[in-house]
Amino acid sequence: MKIQIVRDVLEANDKLADTIRTESSKSGLKLINIMSSPGSGKTSLLEKIIPELKKKEVRVAVIEGDITTTADAERIARLNIPVAQINTEPFGGDCHLGAEVIMPALHQFDLSELDLVFIENVGNLVCPAEFDTGADYNFVVISTTEGEDKPLKYPLMFRVCDTAIINKIDLQPYLDLDIDFLKKNIKQINPGITLMECSAKTGENIITIIKHIQSLLNGQDIS
Amino acid sequence: MHELQIAQNIITIVNEELVKNKRTEKVKDVIFVAGRMRAIIPETLTFSFDVQKEKHVQLSDARLSIREIDIVIQCRDCGEQHTIDEPTFHCEKCLSTNIEIKNGNELYVDSVELFDEKEEQE
Repeated sequence: MKIQIVRDVLEANDKLADTIRTESSKSGLKLINIMSSPGSGKTSLLEKIIPELKKKEVRVAVIEGDITTTADAERIARLNIPVAQINTEPFGGDCHLGAEVIMPALHQFDLSELDLVFIENVGNLVCPAEFDTGADYNFVVISTTEGEDKPLKYPLMFRVCDTAIINKIDLQPYLDLDIDFLKKNIKQINPGITLMECSAKTGENIITIIKHIQSLLNGQDIS
Repeated sequence: MHELQIAQNIITIVNEELVKNKRTEKVKDVIFVAGRMRAIIPETLTFSFDVQKEKHVQLSDARLSIREIDIVIQCRDCGEQHTIDEPTFHCEKCLSTNIEIKNGNELYVDSVELFDEKEEQE
């Protein structure tokens, strides 16, 4: 005997993610989910971006998804903004952040006091792409040391993101990376993606990213 | 690693459906559909499923059958539809990048096949 089911395996997660979006939009809040490989510079980028956003009176908080230590959360907390740390596991926890961990993290904040919440996802180019966090926008950070082929190896990640930020451009003179080829590969996977490049270390082009985020907060079209 | 969570979700969905349909037989086959966009490694998913099914009486003899779906894109400009084997998301006919993914994003439990009572007694 056969039972027809046809149920999406991520339905529970997707439903909760939609609830997160509904709740946050009621509070006039936007969520940006930042994903990348480990070591691409997500935390460094936030350390550069957040003080600039604060100067522009954007009220920011961060949900920190580092699952093994609180080191990243401690770095972000130094910026004097609210930080919610997802439960950590000393020897490595889950490979991604699902909506079920974002919801309680979000509830640690007073949402009426915020304009923007960054979700710093687990460093991984595979699993986080599968799980909707409830964010309004998905960013992928890729650094110049990772090579030109990563978009082709992890197509889903580059398909689900609206914005790709190429980080560590200060290192380019020392690398064999062909940055135009990297950009071409990103565009091949997702022609509609907004592409930016910066150095979170030197601060080069950070202002472009700030402007982009501000336009997202103002509900302007991204492209 | 996401296969672990997906295997858990498959088991949850199947158990819910067995209750909903008031079935008490053991499950023989679980048909799972995975589009190639979803980067599922069948061996890892099967392994994760097999490890976790032991805890569920009706599922302990179940086999996970994974149907992989190719990525099919359709061009919004010229209407051409074709399968892609490499991550080249553009129309092979007119080279437009204005395409829609028609197939390949699937990730769902399609159906389950149950043992009939006789089979189970054997």
